[in-house]
Parts: sequence; C-alpha cells; structure tokens
Amino acid sequence: MGVKARPQALPGQEITVDEQRHFSVDGLLPSTVMRPNDAADAARDLHACDQVPAAVVVWAGGTQIRLGAPPRRYEVAFSTERMTRLLEYEPADLTCRVEAGMRLSDLQATLRAQGQRLPLDPPHPERATVGGMVAANTNGLTRGRYGTVRDWVIGIAVAYPSGKVARAGGKVVKNVAGYDLMKLHIGALGTLGVVAEVNFKVQAQPEAEATLLGHFEAPEPALDVGLKLARQYLAPAAAIVFDGESFSEFLPPQRAGEGRGGGPTQWTLALKLDGYAREVDAARDVALRFIREAGGVVEESDIPPAFWDAARDWSAPADEGVVLRAVVPLTSSQLLIASVPPDARVLAQPASGVVDVRVPATSAAETLSRLRDAAGAEGQVVVAAAPVAVKQSVDVWGPPPPGFPIMRALKQALDPNGILNPGRFVGGI
Amino acid sequence: MGPGVPCNEMDAADREQLLGRIRGVVGERNAFADPYEMRLYQYDASPETALPDIVVMPGTAKEVAQVVKMCADARAPITARSGASSLAGGTVPVEGGVVITFARMDRILEIDIDNLRAVVQPGVVNLALSQALKPHGYYYVPDPSSQGACTIGGNVATNAGGPHTLLYGVTVNHVTGLEVALASGELVQVGGRNAAEAIGYDLTGVLVGSEGTMGVVTRIWVRIQPLPPVQKTLMAVYPDVATASNAVSAIVRTGILPAAIEMMDKLSIQAIEAASHAGYPLDAGAVLLLEVDGTPEVAEELGERMAKVCRDNGATEVRVARNEAERQALWKGRKGAFSAMGRLSSDFYVMDGVVPRTKLPETLAKIDAISERTGFKICNVFHAGDGNLHPLVLFDAFKAGEYEAVLRIGDEILKLCADAGGSVTGEHGIGLEKRENIRYVFSDDDLEVMDRVRRVFDPQRLMNPGKVFPGEGLKPAQAPMPDGSPRRQPRTSVPAGDDVWV
Repeated sequence: MGVKARPQALPGQEITVDEQRHFSVDGLLPSTVMRPNDAADAARDLHACDQVPAAVVVWAGGTQIRLGAPPRRYEVAFSTERMTRLLEYEPADLTCRVEAGMRLSDLQATLRAQGQRLPLDPPHPERATVGGMVAANTNGLTRGRYGTVRDWVIGIAVAYPSGKVARAGGKVVKNVAGYDLMKLHIGALGTLGVVAEVNFKVQAQPEAEATLLGHFEAPEPALDVGLKLARQYLAPAAAIVFDGESFSEFLPPQRAGEGRGGGPTQWTLALKLDGYAREVDAARDVALRFIREAGGVVEESDIPPAFWDAARDWSAPADEGVVLRAVVPLTSSQLLIASVPPDARVLAQPASGVVDVRVPATSAAETLSRLRDAAGAEGQVVVAAAPVAVKQSVDVWGPPPPGFPIMRALKQALDPNGILNPGRFVGGI
Repeated sequence: MGPGVPCNEMDAADREQLLGRIRGVVGERNAFADPYEMRLYQYDASPETALPDIVVMPGTAKEVAQVVKMCADARAPITARSGASSLAGGTVPVEGGVVITFARMDRILEIDIDNLRAVVQPGVVNLALSQALKPHGYYYVPDPSSQGACTIGGNVATNAGGPHTLLYGVTVNHVTGLEVALASGELVQVGGRNAAEAIGYDLTGVLVGSEGTMGVVTRIWVRIQPLPPVQKTLMAVYPDVATASNAVSAIVRTGILPAAIEMMDKLSIQAIEAASHAGYPLDAGAVLLLEVDGTPEVAEELGERMAKVCRDNGATEVRVARNEAERQALWKGRKGAFSAMGRLSSDFYVMDGVVPRTKLPETLAKIDAISERTGFKICNVFHAGDGNLHPLVLFDAFKAGEYEAVLRIGDEILKLCADAGGSVTGEHGIGLEKRENIRYVFSDDDLEVMDRVRRVFDPQRLMNPGKVFPGEGLKPAQAPMPDGSPRRQPRTSVPAGDDVWV
C-alpha cells in the first residue's frame, strides 16, 4: 500500500505507512498527521487545514474512534498526543486544568496522590484521554450517582478552524459568566472545534468502597432492585445488570465458567457502594434487603478489583464487535431488555436508563431496529461501536432529534468549511 | 394609555398593530400597553428600570411561540420574565419591546417519581416544586435564597445556584430537557425525560444560563432526588473572616463533602441578629454555617468531625442545631440576610463574584481595604464552600454621587475576583449589570464565539437584547415616561479595563 498524497498547501508531517494504518478511520487513511504542542498551536494548524480546506479527524487514545458514521472525507490525522500537561491543580480548591491529550489514568493518578478523584470512569482509562472523553461524552458506570462529563467540566479552551482559541467557563466551581459552551463540545465528537484544554472540578476519594452482587433468574427483578436503589437516598455509585455470559467474562480465568448456578439465563446485579464508612454500611444493608426481597442470591466475598475494570471496558471492546447503546427513561429499561434477541448480550445501568447491547455483526441491523422500536419516542439508540460494513448498512445515530436545524446551523457557524470530522455526527454533520 | 403620550420606543401605530395581533392570540385581557399598568414590568431586583412597549401573559407554550413569531416579524425585542428577582437586571427590557411574563404558566405538569423527573412550566416558583415533592420524599435541589419568589424558568435562564449547590451542583446539573420557543416561531423540545446524554449537541446545556438571549423556555424537565434523611447544621464562630476562610479550606481538604458552607461577617451578623434573632453571637468576627446530609448515623458522625475541624482551625465556639427548629433558625438568618441589611442602610448594592476557595482570605482582605479607603461599609454574606462572594455595599441613594461611587466599587471588586482566577458572576448572571465586566474574564475571541452561537438561535438579536454581551445594542435613554422622568434610568458608565476608579 502506498502513501496517500498530501494536499499541496498543507503543512504538517509526511506520513508513514505505519502511521496511516494507525490513524485509519473506518477504512479511510489520512495523508498527513499533525501533532500540535498546545492550544495555540492547535488553532494555527487547524486554520491551515481550513484554508485548503482539508478534512480533519481528531485523534487521541482512539478508544471511541469507532463511534459515529464513517467520515465523508479524511486528509489530516490531528493528534493531541503532545498536549499532555497538567496546567494547574490546587487540591484545596478541588479544581484542575489539563491539556486534552492527557490520559485519564495519569490524571487520576495525580489526583489520587492528593486523596482526590474525578468520579467518572470511562472505558480504557490507560489509553483514553481527557479530550476524547469530553468529545465523545464517554461516561462509565458511575452515572447514576455522579452524573456525566457535563457535571464535572467547569471550563474549556477550544481551537477553532478560524485559527482562534476561545475559552468558556473558568476555573471556579460556580460560574455563570457567558455561555456554557462546555456543553456544546461535550459529545460533539470534535465537529465544532478541537478541545485543547479542560478544567474540571474534582472531589475527595471516598473513605470506603464495597461491592456486592445479586444473582437472579431473570433480568426483571435485577433491574427492579437497581431502580429501587436509585430512587432512595443511599444510591450506589454504580449499579449494573448483565447476563451470565458477561459475568464469567468479568471474572479472572480461574473463576470464569464457575457456574454459580450461572447458566446463560442467569442475570446479575452488581453494586459498587462508596462514600463514608457508615454510609457504605447503611447502603449495604438496604441493598441486601432489596436483593433478598426480590428473590436474589447475594454474593459478597472474593470479588476481584478487576471485576469493575472489566465491566467498565465491556462497552468499548477492542475487537470488531458491535455495541448498541440505548438511553431511555428509567422505567423503560425493562421493555428494552425484553426486546433484546437471544444472540445479544446486555449490560444495563438501571439508575441512569442506559442499556448497552453487544450483538453479532450479522444481526446488528435487526437488533438495532427492534431496540429503536422499544425505546419509543422518549428514548434513543445509537451504534456506539461497529465495523465499517455494519455502519454503512444502518443509520448509526438514528433520526435527527428535534432542534436539528439549530445543530446544523451551529456547525455552519463554527466550522463553515466543514473540515471537522465531516459526516461522522448526527444527521450527517 | 393617555392619547398622544410618546412614552414608548415603538412607533405608536406599529405598537397598536402588534398589540392587536398578540391579543388575537392570548385574548384581550392578557396583553396590554398602558404605561401605568406596565410600570410593574420595568423593574426587577436590580437598580435598573426600563419600560416595555407591550406586556403579554400567554397561557400556553403554543401561544408563546405565536407571540415570539409575531415579535420577530415586527422586529420587536422580546424579554421573558416571571419572578423578576434578577439582581443583575436580567429581566429589565432595556430596549423596550415585548415582555412575556409567565404569571399564567405556573403549573407543575407532572411529578414522575418512577423516572426521578418533574415537568414544570416556567412560572413555577422554585420552592413550590420542592413543597409539592416533599410528601413523596423528594426535592428539587437548587435553592437560591430567593426560592420563595424566583421561578424555575428564571432559574434556567440564569443557571441559578443556592447554598446547597456545593455538593449537588447548580441548575444545569438538574435539568434534562427544555421546550423552547425560537425566534423562528418554532416550538422545539431539546432533551427530555431520559438521561442528559441526548444525541446531537447538548442544546439543553447551552440554553441553561443563556439568560433568555437564545429563546423563550416554555417547559422544563428537571431531575428530582430523595430528601436526605437528616440534615445536620452547625454554626462555627470565628474571630475574623480570614480564620474562617482558612477553616473552609481545611474542611474541604479533610474529604468531608458538606452540602453547604455559608459565611457571614461581623457587619452581616449584626444586621441579621437585629432582624431575625438567628442566635449568631454579636461579638463574632465571622460565622460559618455548615450543613451535612446523611442518614442519622452518618450525619451525626460528620457533624462531630466537622465540629472538630472547625475547632482545630480557630473556631471559638461551635454550636450544633439539636432539632429542626434550631436548624431552621440558623438558616432563617442566612436566607433573610439581604432583607436584614435594611437595618443597616437604606440602600445596598449586592455583588456576585467568585474566587477559588484558597483565595478567599486575600480577596476578603482586599475588599476590606476598599471599604476603608472609600468609606463605604461592605458586608459579606456568601457561599464560602464554593468561593461565591456576595459583598453588599451599603449606601444612601439620595446622596448625590453615592450610587455612582458604589458602582465603581462593585467594578473594582469584580476585577479583583477575576484577577484572582475567579469569575464576575457565580449565580446572578451577567444581565445588564455586568455586560462590561464580562471582559475581565473573556477575551474578544471568546465573546466572538459566544456571539456566533447566539446568532444561530437569534439572528436578529431580538431575544433579551442588551444583556450578557458588552456594549452592543444599548441605546441611550429613550423618550420620557408620562410623568416626565426618563424612561430608562441610565447608570453612569463604569470604566472597563484596567483604569478602574481608585
């Protein structure tokens, strides 16, 4: 395979065949790679792309690169790998400011050294970056209690195709000056600008943590318990419901396939409790009672710490698997799971109405359409990851939401030449 | 309106025509243009006033959308308002035009405990929602001090906060969907009942806090949460604000996450005690009000731990509310702080700056120095836990030059908040008041991007014009009101940039 020709007018580095392969997106290859050093640099590089105009795909850890429709065009791999600095961190203020290319695990390690954390846990934190998490709005399993990216980002610096860096928000935890443009970029998949710096609020590490499992014969009672827990005061940090097959995947090899009554029909509710020690004790009592009342079998000991890491990474598989993600009102999860075909596997978060479904590529289209029917008017289902062949055969995002003309106009206002991730976002944006 | 009185900016014929069309939608009684009737609508809780051309009280979202379209077609500015408790002039119709008020759209449409949501109209009073939820064991978290008067619609416009947002976040963290009337006349729902991870751009998140400059919100989906079983409230007494500020940082560093940390300085304590007998010691230099939520055991334990941290960090006395009555008494003082200031001064000007928590001691010292230098008394009652200051400058509006001097003091305080790495508004909004001060925290490039976003929603700049953005679109005082006083009381221009008055 030869190297794709680079547009004449474009600065940036010659690209090697290996780099092209590394930065390929849905089978498309870039002809150039840009690696800006900081926000100002990123804006300059982006402006150069805009003048060609050359289509840009923003690259970081690549953990969510399979999200979105295949790009319409792709010339420049725009990598944030050199933008990894911790710019400010004052533990007593519970705030920090970091460059977008910083890996989440590095950020968490910095915070942990001060007894603090960012209570979000997207998949693959050792590869995922701060900017990627913001752009793809990747949220882990702690949504129900700790919210999502939008609840923790207090400021942002964005490089625009105009060549300018513009900020919004700030460095303080409470701030209503100007528009909250952080929200605009969270989940925008880099289609409105390149997130260059992010300011977070953070919190103290919890004093205590506990995990307990409730095994059930069917998904309904497991979901019910998860939902009941979400509606009472001591909500778990994470509550997930998954099928027996996934359960064995979350355990180390020597325990996998251990059975535990666990045929394929078995369903498990896993709860992570955290907070003050007494709070965790009280939450455990409530959870145990709810599980037993619903006919579940409790398991509390010997759950390895890697269990939660495996569960967290489940919805961002490294292979070519297909992940469909439904977001529905809390009470609709039941209906949704009932519509999942037998060849699919499920990980639901009853406290936040998020249901991830892994399905073979061959039946992806049919399952997607069944889920969309079940999600109804108040829910939505997107393809969170899939090989390009699947993405070409289905509507990745589903019908554009109400307010779509505004979204398209926002794109036009901030990226008039359409160089940022063209075609990958909702409605062809 | 008296015939021939040229009190409005719109051409009289245009106004009559627009009024007629609007009345065709909302009914004769629900739209008016009589200057006498409209006087109520020239104010909010800020010192600024301006008379609208027409006031409309729509009854449904559809009516709002129709009215907005008519205004857009007539190029008439639109200012939405409900409780009008804005301290920043957010609802003052500085460019005249049509005020849409939500007095008739004040219903809680749905309480959906199963999905942890409530759906409300914009005119629902903040406290009324929590009161309606209480029998179910739930509440709506953001609790501005004005919660008995302000509405959820207004809270959405300003992204309102309150004492308890320290632990649980501000309005935007509790809103999952909006229905909004756009300048095009469309009624669009963004987000909704499900989690705030809607596909497409997060327009809900962008609209919250946009101060009515993008559209008129007609329905709101909010997150509700279970009431904490116990709220433990403590009062800690300090010799001075610096010691109290350092105690705040110490508490934050212990890992305890209080639901609220409020501070009152000496002057405020005296005013509050005179007004409400909350039980704050009169000889204290500063009082901290701290609250933790939890189960009875947890709240008890955290209360004790927090009391110890307070004592270890210079508190001369720590008092724990033993029951709900004592707790309410402690909070009554804090929530009534602004009205208590009437005991000290006929007028006061309240600011809303934010600094990083660790910068509280030096910022308060600088504010103190400003007070000494200028001779104006400045009280501090504020959300210490998140560094959100509310300095109140006491003055006498009848003394020539005092108001102007106070505005300059306010400007100086905001500049020093910005320079400390903070912000010029934590919860009141930019509004009319801080349009120039926004430059202390944002560059022209930052504001240019915000303006592009605004123009996407509102290409003609008709939505609450004259707010948020510096210096644009604001015309000088307009035609006089019927009694001959100016229609808009223009405030003396406040110097922007570094050349603040000293």
